[in-house]
Amino acid sequence: MGYIAVKGGTHAIEESIKRLKYERIHHGQTIEVERIKAGMRGLVDQVMSESSLYNETLAALAIKQAEGNPEEAVFLLRAYRSTVPRKHYSKVIETEQMNVERRISASFKDIPGGQILGATTDYTHRLLDFTLMDETDVAVQEWLHYYQKESFQGDEEQLTLPKVLDYLRKEGLIPPCENNNMEPDDVTRESLDFPSSRSQRLQILTRGETGAVTSLAYAVIRGYGALHPTVGELRVGTLPVTIDHPTDAGDEDDAYYIGEVKVTEVEMLMPVTVEKEYGKKEMEFEIGYGLVFGQNETKAISMGILDNCLEHPTPDFPSHNEEFVLYHIDSVESTGFISHLKMPHYVTFQSKLDSVRKTKKEGTKNEEGQEVKSG
Amino acid sequence: MKRRRRTEILINGSQKRVENMAHCIKDKYQVKVVQEPESGLVMLKVRETSQKSLFYPGEVLVIECKVQIEGRIGIGIVTGDQPELSYNLAVIDAAYEANLPETIGWMELLENEEKVIQEQRAAANQSILKTKVNFETMDV
Repeated sequence: MGYIAVKGGTHAIEESIKRLKYERIHHGQTIEVERIKAGMRGLVDQVMSESSLYNETLAALAIKQAEGNPEEAVFLLRAYRSTVPRKHYSKVIETEQMNVERRISASFKDIPGGQILGATTDYTHRLLDFTLMDETDVAVQEWLHYYQKESFQGDEEQLTLPKVLDYLRKEGLIPPCENNNMEPDDVTRESLDFPSSRSQRLQILTRGETGAVTSLAYAVIRGYGALHPTVGELRVGTLPVTIDHPTDAGDEDDAYYIGEVKVTEVEMLMPVTVEKEYGKKEMEFEIGYGLVFGQNETKAISMGILDNCLEHPTPDFPSHNEEFVLYHIDSVESTGFISHLKMPHYVTFQSKLDSVRKTKKEGTKNEEGQEVKSG
Repeated sequence: MKRRRRTEILINGSQKRVENMAHCIKDKYQVKVVQEPESGLVMLKVRETSQKSLFYPGEVLVIECKVQIEGRIGIGIVTGDQPELSYNLAVIDAAYEANLPETIGWMELLENEEKVIQEQRAAANQSILKTKVNFETMDV
């Protein structure tokens, strides 16, 4: 059977796109991008993180165009990203420079700098707040006015805090570690190959689809993995971004400050038994690392869990198999592939249909033959 | 004042002040635009704290502009979509590169602006520190 070219869908497609617009606006109302930015922080952060493009306005625009569907919004933003030239690489960002907005540890009660809850839903009742049905701009502005008035005389210019890990390293509970300044790999420029490098793994995990990353990490804890993690430290805050002069790179003071990005950073602690000299066994901690754009705490914790899993490959669990994890958590790749199943597969399906018809026919012939023999 | 500190004050401070500073240069010198403000990406390079290696968590959208004053190139680059700010930053950067006399008077302006930014930061941090947990041991 040869391929047959068909046409005739153009008009239907045009009308379908019109219909899509109709569905977006048929209530006769539109939502401003600024309002999405103002009121949908969680979704904006998720879309920026999965797109690996930090810009709240574009993420909000993508959310508007995608009618709030994150997989479509991420697709749009990734497509946009591919049209914009990359002009610079930032200087190395050291995360202890983070201006902290939230910082907790589930492992240690007394950490240097203290436990700072910041903004979190962790201690809220999950009850629908029906008063939000009638919330107005005037009401929120009034609330803001009083909130700002009740604070804020302070002298903490920088809210930078020491890392819990540094404390553990000093105590000898985790092995010391020197800076490794090897240039990272970039999966957006060169395809992933196996075995992957640590920088490739971290890059794919941080841009992974939130639900997929979370599900795999959950599977690890439920027994489809070999880890028992605790949150050593979780931080949310802003990191300053600087770049060198393009032709005249100098020291840190000569760099250009270009702005800040908000991120969630997590260090997960996993107790492990290590064998020392003369077969002596000691308990130590290993660290799983997570860092994602915006405030995405579940994803950052999950990234930390999977990071540690992939540092210890084992055929016993798919969650410790880098090919399984890294090839299946990307939003555009997974939703794109599943979604393409809706596209016309007339030719391939026709050939399957032919095969089914053929085997059915042969089956009937054989049955008839056996009946004749037995008759 | 070194560039790192200066650009942080200019970006986080009053945009009106940046505009005025750039204006005072544009009024007196010929400013040649080498590159109009245009969008680009900056790939972030972060050191993870587990093995202290480097990786790329993603890119940030920036606007970048280049101008030339008295033969010296100035660069204005800032995150987000702020073409006017990037142009003004480029003019101020070129003024410093060309050692224009106006930059001497800017020192005090920038230091004052820095104080305002620090006060705003301190106020915001104070609000965050109100969420710090004060553990008390319970009698049981």
